[in-house]
Amino acid sequence: MKDTMHRNIRPLTVLQRVETDASAQQCSLAKKSCILLVTKNSRLADPVMDYAINVADRMNCKVLASYVNTLPLLDNDGMHPRLAASAIQQNGDAFKAKAAARGVEFEYVRESGKISKVISRLCRMVKRVEFVLIDQGIKIEEAAFGSPVPVFNIVCTDTRTGKMIDNRQAKKISYGEKNMKATSRKSHLLKTLIFGTMTAALYAAVFTNSEFVMTYFTRGGIYALLPVATVFVFSYAHGSFTSNFWSALGIEGSKATVQKQAEKSKTVDKRRDTRPRVQASA
Amino acid sequence: MHGPVADTIQFIDLNFAYIVFLVIVGFIGGLVSGFIGSGGAFVLTPGMMSLGVPGTVAVASNMCHKFPKALVGSIKRYRYGQVDIKLGLIMGVFAEIGVQVGIMVQKHILETWGEAGSNLYVSVSFVTVLVIVGSFVLRDALKLRKSGGDGWVQPPIAARLQKIELWPMMTFKRANLRISVWFIIPVALATGMLAATIAVGGFIGVPGLMYIIGATSIVASATELVVAFVMGLGGTLIWAFYGMVDIRLTLLILGGSLFGVQLGAIGTTYVKDYMIKYVMATIMLIVAVSRFLAMPKYMNKLNLTSFSDASVALMTQMSFYIMCFALLTGAMIILVNMFKARSAESALERAAQAQA
Repeated sequence: MKDTMHRNIRPLTVLQRVETDASAQQCSLAKKSCILLVTKNSRLADPVMDYAINVADRMNCKVLASYVNTLPLLDNDGMHPRLAASAIQQNGDAFKAKAAARGVEFEYVRESGKISKVISRLCRMVKRVEFVLIDQGIKIEEAAFGSPVPVFNIVCTDTRTGKMIDNRQAKKISYGEKNMKATSRKSHLLKTLIFGTMTAALYAAVFTNSEFVMTYFTRGGIYALLPVATVFVFSYAHGSFTSNFWSALGIEGSKATVQKQAEKSKTVDKRRDTRPRVQASA
Repeated sequence: MHGPVADTIQFIDLNFAYIVFLVIVGFIGGLVSGFIGSGGAFVLTPGMMSLGVPGTVAVASNMCHKFPKALVGSIKRYRYGQVDIKLGLIMGVFAEIGVQVGIMVQKHILETWGEAGSNLYVSVSFVTVLVIVGSFVLRDALKLRKSGGDGWVQPPIAARLQKIELWPMMTFKRANLRISVWFIIPVALATGMLAATIAVGGFIGVPGLMYIIGATSIVASATELVVAFVMGLGGTLIWAFYGMVDIRLTLLILGGSLFGVQLGAIGTTYVKDYMIKYVMATIMLIVAVSRFLAMPKYMNKLNLTSFSDASVALMTQMSFYIMCFALLTGAMIILVNMFKARSAESALERAAQAQA
């Protein structure tokens, strides 16, 4: 991990009126020094979370995480607010459990607005913020602009492939991993309904017109393609329906197997070194 | 309609009881197929015939439901990283040739010894293949079970064959093996021939992939679904050309079997490698008993034995029920082991969370 520090030297000349959030008001971290974590996603990246807990444990301070909705007027960046709230709650609970295992106190708040303004507001409210740690996807310049304390970001590298995870990838991973639990059941249920309706309609179409179907489907010759095409259509609709049906019931493949498979597919062959080399010819 | 047979075919009228029966048998068959790669459909042909469906229509409709089921099952198992598509397609092409050879052999026997001779040939093939291969697979499964079943060792025959560098050599990444095509062809041909004879090629295909080619039982059973898809598609096109497919029966069986095949595929991610062998061997051996009881009927017709009509009728009935029992036993083993492993995994997860 590589840390980069940007000290904000711009003094706060104008004290803006702070619109205190109800949850932020209840924050009980005012007396003890703390680390402020800021993310604009519905979850904090694992390396950021782990780093914050490690440092807080060493420094004997607390952790305050702030989940910032940077686009409150745009329905939370396309995500349904309720799903976002559920994902944040899950992430916060997971973080809390992780922190509790190390004996670190943790609280989280939900904020909305510009990152710089949120950081500035929280730093003034909480008073004893030692430094700010920003999650992937936030520009350090933007965070440093509103912060009276040092701002750090975490650059994670995939040690196995030596490939750096950029912000866009990190966002995708975070969406994929985090929101999975909150959304997958609902999404499977929705798909079950859609494909179930489609399947029922197909069955109804065949069985209500069974005489017509049987007349043409048993003619043979070129009509042989009719039953074959029909079962292909059914296997798509009904196959998708049954797959989502079991998933909606929570019956899915073993996580250990799926994880192993994901790791296998993630393996990237090392790129060949094509740099020109000095050659000696005798 | 095409062909002289099709003109005389009577398609049955369906009632509610028939529909429920077909959907349930389809589900159980699909569950077994999704888990061991094949073997779920062998009850369907006699099952449909017991409802009054003509033999050819039962075979054709069964075949037509098998390939989409295999397609859905192989897609599901491909997502779990268990399918070697290249190996499956190569085997499927040669298995299709095996099916045609099997049909020719059947025709020859039918012309020489008549229908009873043909049926006896089918039953003898059933019993011989299932007893020999089933016992071998069961012995191996029990051995693995005793040792814990964690490590996988390449079978000695497969290891030897893979060392022989005979052109053309092919590498199969997912199955993690490199072998000459000349060793794949006989396995595929035998699979096709058995499929043409007893309608379940997988009883040769999966053990062949495991013990001769050298794939793990998970990969072998998953790849067999691709082979079944290729064979089933080819077979369906031929049967449909003669107008033999009753699409209503096909769709009803498919209605149940697609639920089953997904669940069977999910089950493979929870169990250990030997469990597939164990389920397969159990089904094979029980089916062998069933077919053994069906033999006196044909032997009487050929004047080889002289059992009374009452005993023959009883044995024929028992044969069908034992076949259903084989399928049910397989399904029960799969479901019990899958849900056991699932609850064990959930318990471990909960314990890990509590520790954290």
